[in-house]
Amino acid sequence: MRTTRAQRFWVSALGLVVAAIFFFPTYWMLTTALKTPGQVLSPAYDLVPLSVTLVNFASALGKAGFLSFLVNSLVVTLGSVACALAAGLLAAVPLARMRFHGRRGFLLLVLVAQLAPLEALFVPMYLIMRDADLLNSLAGLLLVYVAFTLPFTVWTLRGFVKGIPVELDEAAMVDGCGRWGVFRRITLPLLGPGLVSTSVFSFVTAWNEFLYALVFLRDVDKQTLPVWLSSFKTAFGTDWGGVMAASVVYAIPALVFFVLVRRRLLSGGVSGAVKG
Amino acid sequence: MATPTTAAPPRDTPGAGRRRPRAALGEPAVPYLMLAPAVVVMLALLAWPAVQVLGISFRKLDLGELVRGEVVWVGFDNYAEILTDPVFWSATARTVVFTAAVVAATVALGLGVGVLMRHLGAVVRTLLQISLVLAWATPIVATTTVFQWMFDQEYGILNKTLVLLGFDSFQGHSWFATGASTLTVIGLLVLWQATPFIGFTLYAGLVTTPRDLYEAAAIDGASPWQAFRAVSWPSLRPMLTLVAFLSVLWDFKVFTQVWAIRQGGPDGSSTTLPVLLYLKGISGSHFGVAAAVAVLMLVVLVAVTWRYLRLLVRSPETEL
Repeated sequence: MRTTRAQRFWVSALGLVVAAIFFFPTYWMLTTALKTPGQVLSPAYDLVPLSVTLVNFASALGKAGFLSFLVNSLVVTLGSVACALAAGLLAAVPLARMRFHGRRGFLLLVLVAQLAPLEALFVPMYLIMRDADLLNSLAGLLLVYVAFTLPFTVWTLRGFVKGIPVELDEAAMVDGCGRWGVFRRITLPLLGPGLVSTSVFSFVTAWNEFLYALVFLRDVDKQTLPVWLSSFKTAFGTDWGGVMAASVVYAIPALVFFVLVRRRLLSGGVSGAVKG
Repeated sequence: MATPTTAAPPRDTPGAGRRRPRAALGEPAVPYLMLAPAVVVMLALLAWPAVQVLGISFRKLDLGELVRGEVVWVGFDNYAEILTDPVFWSATARTVVFTAAVVAATVALGLGVGVLMRHLGAVVRTLLQISLVLAWATPIVATTTVFQWMFDQEYGILNKTLVLLGFDSFQGHSWFATGASTLTVIGLLVLWQATPFIGFTLYAGLVTTPRDLYEAAAIDGASPWQAFRAVSWPSLRPMLTLVAFLSVLWDFKVFTQVWAIRQGGPDGSSTTLPVLLYLKGISGSHFGVAAAVAVLMLVVLVAVTWRYLRLLVRSPETEL
């Protein structure tokens, strides 16, 4: 489409404004974290920080138990991502490639499970975990997160496995590969984007999850970061600088994860799952 | 993020030989064994709780029964209790209005952002994409605390800015004094977090529309609006339906933000259904009543999305 210079200018200007709006809360979180407590609670209008201090990070990291919350969150999140990927991959291959009795039933189970509103299931989940003696333990929470993310993982990975031309499998088999060889040499290497987009999804889900963490983990030392951060009022008083510093620290692993996978993400993170 | 890739997503080309069954290699149990872990987890932690929640909703299950391990069937008592409770009805109305408003706003803004990205030059588009990814990646609770801070009564940047612009009445204005105002802030928060995903998804749909089609439309003398209607819209529509459907599912269940901001307050006036569920179940230990709320919540959700659910279950993606 032909556009004039003026049009292009206004479109760019609009783009910059929208970018600024979406950037602002992140910016504000970071700059508040870098201000001294006196500057934070000042009536002055201070969009741009005049000086930078790390005192808030020191106080946030020094809060009792912060590091154990961070470790708890990392353990639960990375553990559930790994389990969901392993179980999801195992299930995706037969669903995409093999023919067997009950396949349609499995597919429907996965599809319906994806739509399950997990917030509505916490009462029975609480009772199940209580009976299994997994309440108040990270293992119980990890299991729940695996269950949450597994249907999407299976569904997406199945889409990606189907996207690999079956002729490649056949060629490898002609060359003497067994099923395992095909999986290791053909399917797995070509599944890169699928594994990436599903692991982003699982990571974000588990890293963010709040309700079940709030319900399950009663002991303070078992809690994960979101639960702890949401109760900041008791932990910090009105120390907004400290809260913002803690939020930045909490956000960093998620941001790192996104940066690691950004190229895959922008080139169609949901394409395996979504056929418009 | 120097080079945002806009490559076409991998496609399922429906090749003729694609679904040809491979000769079974003599191990009929293999697919079942491979499926077993996933199926066990889904049955134990999704299907079984779903059955359970229905069962519990017909039982009286408070702390006493729970500790004694009693099973007391009470029929529809829990439902009667909930359905005659005005709190439930106001929470339902609030949740439906909140969901409708937030979904409409996110889809509209997401579409705007998607279209905008397509028309931007590489530099500005990259900047926009960076800020969108930041908004998307920032964890919910972190964003919630930032919004609380921006909307803070005393030192929040919003009130400061409004006062600077001459709206002196916002000096010390509390954004969390009423339920409507609290939910508006929560809605903005959800909007900010949810738009990037929708924007990127729709943008991916737009860039995979062949350029020739736009050129053909231009040659035929179509205005940009006509080109959008005739070329972009048909390919966007199914994606729009999908993201709207997903947004309904997500926004209906928003709990974290509501709980973290005011626990459904002030005076329960920002209590949505998921918050009510939590209050009944965990805070009040009325598990039976909470289960009834959960079942009713599902009923509302299924009623709202019924048409699309049917479409989805019948879609060719579920084919054998």
